[in-house]
Amino acid sequence: MKHFLGILYGCLVLSILAGFWVNFYLHPHHYFVWENLPVFSALYGFIGCIVIILGSKALGHHWLQKKEDYYDQPESPGRKDT
Amino acid sequence: MIDWFHPGLIYILGSALIPFFRGTLKKVYLLFIPALAFINLLLISKDVFLSEGKTWPLSFLGYDLVLGRIDPLSIVFAYVFVIASFCMMLFALHVKEDGQHIVAYLYVGSTLGVVFSGDLLTLFFFWEIMAWSALFLIWYRKTGTSFRAGLRYILVHFFGGACLLGGIFLHVQTTGSIAFETFQLGAGLSWTNLSSYLILLAFIINAAVPPLHAWLSDAYPEATVTGAVFLTAFTTKSAIYVLLRGFPGAELLIWLGAIMAVYGVVFAVLENDIRRLLAYHIISQVGYMVCGVGMGVVGTPAGEMAINGAVAHAFSHILYKALLFMGAGAVLEVTGRSKLTELGGIYRYMPITFHLYMVGAYSISGFPLFNGFVSKTMVVQASAMWHLPIIWLMLEGASIGTFLHTGLKLPWGVWFAKEEPACKAKEPPGNMLVAMGITAFLCTLIGVYPKILYNMLPYPVHYEPYTPAHVVAMSQLLLFTFIAFWLLRKRLHGEPTITLDTDWFYRKAGERIIWFCEKPLMTFANFLDRIVLDIAGSVIWFSKNPAAAFEIKKKEMLLAGQRRLAKSGSIDLCRQSLEEEKRKYPGELPGLTLGASIILILFSFLLYLALYLFAIP
Repeated sequence: MKHFLGILYGCLVLSILAGFWVNFYLHPHHYFVWENLPVFSALYGFIGCIVIILGSKALGHHWLQKKEDYYDQPESPGRKDT
Repeated sequence: MIDWFHPGLIYILGSALIPFFRGTLKKVYLLFIPALAFINLLLISKDVFLSEGKTWPLSFLGYDLVLGRIDPLSIVFAYVFVIASFCMMLFALHVKEDGQHIVAYLYVGSTLGVVFSGDLLTLFFFWEIMAWSALFLIWYRKTGTSFRAGLRYILVHFFGGACLLGGIFLHVQTTGSIAFETFQLGAGLSWTNLSSYLILLAFIINAAVPPLHAWLSDAYPEATVTGAVFLTAFTTKSAIYVLLRGFPGAELLIWLGAIMAVYGVVFAVLENDIRRLLAYHIISQVGYMVCGVGMGVVGTPAGEMAINGAVAHAFSHILYKALLFMGAGAVLEVTGRSKLTELGGIYRYMPITFHLYMVGAYSISGFPLFNGFVSKTMVVQASAMWHLPIIWLMLEGASIGTFLHTGLKLPWGVWFAKEEPACKAKEPPGNMLVAMGITAFLCTLIGVYPKILYNMLPYPVHYEPYTPAHVVAMSQLLLFTFIAFWLLRKRLHGEPTITLDTDWFYRKAGERIIWFCEKPLMTFANFLDRIVLDIAGSVIWFSKNPAAAFEIKKKEMLLAGQRRLAKSGSIDLCRQSLEEEKRKYPGELPGLTLGASIILILFSFLLYLALYLFAIP
């Protein structure tokens, strides 16, 4: 596990450094303003992931998630789901 | 000399012979069919059989059907369908029931029929076979849940089929041609537009575009273990193919596709069933392709990049999605469980399945060196070339969610998450592992050597996936997604719930409509019915002997009046005589004299005349 975390942190730092290297030495063609930021993808990945998790869970807990037998319950007494 | 042989017919005719083989011979035969179709395709694409652009015409009802339209677009889809069907059949080889193999090959064959159809009638014919053969892949699970889910699935597809047929009829009526070419999609109200929109509606139902997508996430996870693997590839990807043929560059599809990509991701967060989670990711991934079709304006560099991207992504997607469903299916096969809440910690029993599954997960997430990276980035690149910042952000955001669920949440929940294994498990049968191995190899091969795929695409590819900028951006995105997952992994455990989706409208709201019809509406109808019958009954009673009836009614009223005045003594007597009269009613009918009758008749004539003159203007 320690090994794994070591490699992971190494990769993180490496990817950030590579971002700077690409941006300032290779000057790739940019389509959007935010691509000028060397760490844009990292930020977008991190924040996007958190937003997806928290946003979806909030949506689910307040509205969309129901008990597993939700569709098996008859809508009105006396009416049986065949 | 045969010009060529339709690859779809190899499957359809070949499936009829399956019951005549036994044991090992049957297994060989089952794998021989896709192999034969593959050789057939090779010969077609090398111009040995039918050269490009030629068709296989057939006359039907005065129209010339085109069963074989050969061009780069149909060939590339046919290749991936045939290759995938081989891997899938290998995965299903241990299944004893012949019926499952037969419907699977009918399904594959009819999809190839759709791909090669050059006219709308042929398209419709194979389209419908595709719809119902898929139904049996669901029904072979033989549970009540799968039966009901299959029923809902086929109802949605019947609706789609009806739209398609209606659209085709209108199209043929207005244009006089049954050729399957690009449709006009204008804004005004006209028959041409209506036909195009009906056909588009049918296509996007099959592509599972929200809000018409719920059949997919509802039914596919209820299919058999091996059937679900077949289902992942054909219906939605053949829909992408027909969209590419019929509606390239339809702007509406850009937005629908981007919304679709994000929609699937959001629902996958909430899902507990692993195969349903993956089904939501079919919707998400097909979103990229639909978006690509929308951006695919023919004749522009960005448009051709988008079309190439959509085709390439369909190719990659079929392979890695099959692999993912094979992995999830293998878990279901050996444990009988498919819910995250009931699984966990089984890595020690199924490490090979885990690693093969992860190849699919890396591919769908778009890790460099896997096939998702070389195809998905083409669609994203096209959105950049069109300068669509919001679309670009939505597609990149969907990438994050894809890795989060298929690459992290699902494997974490199934193979790890718990200290002690949730249940006993073992590696699946050898044929399943070999099938997963071959599919994983193909995913990696295309990722490492994308030229194989790029050379098959309909337009020349001017795109290099492995530039430092692409690789670094994707690595940053995925690594930091992992960090966010690791921080929040406690929140991502499965919850024993189901998620409401647009199928609610026909599962719950539909039931409410039926309840409304059965209860309030029927009560009201019965009430009206009774009133009308009562009125009719009393009119009949009255007309039996109007004179006596008048008398009875008069006495009844008198009696009521007397009761109010409370003369109790005489009331009983009166009542008794009234009862007697009612019992005798209608009694002896009074004879009418001739004169009276004539007067009555004349009176009624007069009434009629008055009515005629005054009441009717």
